[in-house]
Amino acid sequence: MFFRYCLAAALSLTIVVPAAAQERTALKNGFDPLDARGKTVLVMRPSVRVGSQSTGGMFEPNGDWTDQSKKNIDAALAKIQAKLGNKVVVAPEAFGEDARLTDEYAALFAAVSQSVITYQFFPGNRLPTKKRENKADIFDWSLGSGVADLPGAKDADYALFIYNKDAYGSTGRKLLQAFAMLGPGLAVKSGEHAGYAGLIDLRTGDILWLNADGAMGGDVRTSEGADKRVGQLLEGFPGSQLEKATVASATAP
Amino acid sequence: MKHRLMALALTGWLAPILACAAPASIKQAPPPPPYAGVYQPHGVDEIGLWHDDDEDERRLAGSPLVIRDEALNHYLKDLLCRTVGTDRCQAARIYVLRTPVFNASMSPNGTMRVFTGLLLRMHSEAELAAILGHEFGHFERRHTLSRFKANRSGTDLLSWAAVLTAMAGSYQAYSNFDDLQTSVYGGLYHYQRDNEREADLLGLGYLNASALPPQAAARVWQNAMAEAEASAVVRGLRKPRFDAVAFTASHPPDAERAAYLGALASPEGASRDAGEERYAAAMAPWLPQFLDDQIKLNDFGASEYIITSLAEGGWSACLWNARGDLYRLRGTQRDLVNAAAFYGDAVRLDPRLADAHRGLGLALVKTGRREEGLAALRRYLMLKPNAPDAAMIGMLTMKETP
Repeated sequence: MFFRYCLAAALSLTIVVPAAAQERTALKNGFDPLDARGKTVLVMRPSVRVGSQSTGGMFEPNGDWTDQSKKNIDAALAKIQAKLGNKVVVAPEAFGEDARLTDEYAALFAAVSQSVITYQFFPGNRLPTKKRENKADIFDWSLGSGVADLPGAKDADYALFIYNKDAYGSTGRKLLQAFAMLGPGLAVKSGEHAGYAGLIDLRTGDILWLNADGAMGGDVRTSEGADKRVGQLLEGFPGSQLEKATVASATAP
Repeated sequence: MKHRLMALALTGWLAPILACAAPASIKQAPPPPPYAGVYQPHGVDEIGLWHDDDEDERRLAGSPLVIRDEALNHYLKDLLCRTVGTDRCQAARIYVLRTPVFNASMSPNGTMRVFTGLLLRMHSEAELAAILGHEFGHFERRHTLSRFKANRSGTDLLSWAAVLTAMAGSYQAYSNFDDLQTSVYGGLYHYQRDNEREADLLGLGYLNASALPPQAAARVWQNAMAEAEASAVVRGLRKPRFDAVAFTASHPPDAERAAYLGALASPEGASRDAGEERYAAAMAPWLPQFLDDQIKLNDFGASEYIITSLAEGGWSACLWNARGDLYRLRGTQRDLVNAAAFYGDAVRLDPRLADAHRGLGLALVKTGRREEGLAALRRYLMLKPNAPDAAMIGMLTMKETP
């Protein structure tokens, strides 16, 4: 029995137990989604990585799929514009000092949103300092007012950051999954489809809205799949028709 | 009989060791293979790795850590071209990263990262060329791709083994799985070390064929060992073992590298010009910053070793000043006395070196020689009136009014 636990621990490196809650959305306190109508949204260069998942769980990057998915996601973003109720402009390609600033803010957004996802959105790993905020239903994160210096920020109200990573289960992984389920009854996860999107106020740097999804649908390698994926990524986008019936609050159910 | 068997067993064990120590068949590292033209990635895995790497390089190009000085970058590119050949070197882009660590790296698409800690530790063009050639060897042999494939096969095997073990559920099965896991991971690390050996050989092959002395390659690792030893002595630690291979070691041990690189270097190359003066001249504008970064690592033994080894060809004001900083920042009373002497040597060699006057002043004030110290601080302010700490130092030098 002891060994079985050991093995389970060893396997957990490669086999991810599906989280109970996989999707969360939060709005900044005091931010009225209706305010977000008719604004200009600057879409930052989406971070997209697409590949497959090897039998052992390694990510295998696939250049062709990534290129295809980037194109599909860009097209889907353009298509969904009407539903967002906002004007969407793509951030200009930056060079030199501007590129450095853009990269730094993309990295900062990734770090902050990872903190939100790890420490506030999903239970189990919460920072002691964030527990109280969770109970009080506070969602208050910011990138700082320096975002106003981003290239293209002068002519926009909000910035939209998008992160997307897809690892499609390889044939070997799927075989392993089926075999592990039928044989010893182990749950092996095949494929990973995670992403998050966030809306930043370009005046204050506050995160107005964040949507994280650990298991999304839609095959980004096809244009219909990308439409579905972008719809899921922007689910609950403030002021849009993509809002869910009830926007989940920042606290755990 | 027993003894004879043991002797046989011993010779059986020793034979391969001796063969390693004195390679009879190869006298020199093999020459580099003929240049096959501009390389483009093949297959899904390699194209995927390059694609990821292109994205990384795009970020790297904008990184605040990168030193964008054109003269320095041009010098390094030129040295790489002189090492691996003007045709090959076009495949690599060099980025100098301000990181005070002895390292460099090469990624699949030809992005070479060179850390300033490496530039600080090299004594000649030939030594740096040995490292650049090694890194280029990783690129030429597509090591990232082969390791990616090896890691994938290893983890694939272990996943199946884990599932089958769980199915069997017996003690023996779990025990076997543990053994398999150890041997697969051990094999992967071993494979990585073999890649490094291969890159070492290829790097030495470039150097043998170049106009630089290949003997410098072994010297790099001898210096690395001496530095690690100096660092351990000051910390009061046990001397590091340079011949032992740890289970997870990413590189072969330094002693082994120094030995085979020395043995396989072309003997007729020994008399070539190593380019010490040219290297020192190219690094001169950067030396104060590199030394300052190193000193702030708080590794007294290593920093002292680096400074004294750079001073083998003669002390300069910059090196005396750095040594003064090193002692003054550790800051015991005995260090401050030494530091004042080192700064004194620095200002004797270069009376216009403002930072040495500053260090001299601060060290003297703290060792009870207040008047001399204040005079040195005033000279500092005179030489560098716009220094960022001018106001603070200015307060120190004001006349006290009781």
